[in-house]
Amino acid sequence: MKYKPWLYVALTSIFELLWVYGFNVADKAWHWALVLILILIDFYYLSKACLYLPTGTVYAIFAAAGTVGTALMDIFIFNHSFSAAKGFFIGVIVVGVILLNLSDNAGMKKIEIEGEGS
Amino acid sequence: MGWAFVFFASIFELVGVVGLNKFNEQKTWLTTLLFIGGFGTAFAFLYSSFHYLQVSIAYAVWIGIGTAAAVLVNMVFFNESKSIGRLVSVGIIIFGVCGLKLVS
Repeated sequence: MKYKPWLYVALTSIFELLWVYGFNVADKAWHWALVLILILIDFYYLSKACLYLPTGTVYAIFAAAGTVGTALMDIFIFNHSFSAAKGFFIGVIVVGVILLNLSDNAGMKKIEIEGEGS
Repeated sequence: MGWAFVFFASIFELVGVVGLNKFNEQKTWLTTLLFIGGFGTAFAFLYSSFHYLQVSIAYAVWIGIGTAAAVLVNMVFFNESKSIGRLVSVGIIIFGVCGLKLVS
């Protein structure tokens, strides 16, 4: 039970990457049906993870995994050019998204504590 | 062109998120349309952007602008916290998006 929420976080991150990959390669109707199913499963696990963990934490990991995963996809699957500068600025965006979500968590914790006090 | 698609995808994602919140409060035709239509349109634009941009760039910009815009809307319209940490984080995201636009 202790690890279950993190299993949901891992699953939502994996399904996220699967549908992004699907978007790039799908060209038949049944491909698109599959992509749609992947998106629905992805959102299902995302909402499951958010039941157990703070939304900010889940979303920060989800966004980071998606960004790093797509960068790897570009390099190893699609053979796109990838420069240090691109990697740097993608990293900057990830840092911003993580900080933003974590500062939201901090704010929520404060509200909870204040709520308990009253 | 790809950048415009990613930008619209982020904006419609925001519409979808607002729709989702309203839909949870009140299930009407309008909230359903905002929720489903918002996300649907967002995905259509994201898909279109993949024809012009690398996956990793489109994805990073989409998630970055989507997150920053959601926070800004909540700050302006729903009176959420305007803490320094949140403002600095939004600034970092915007810096990252602009930088990525310059180098690609």
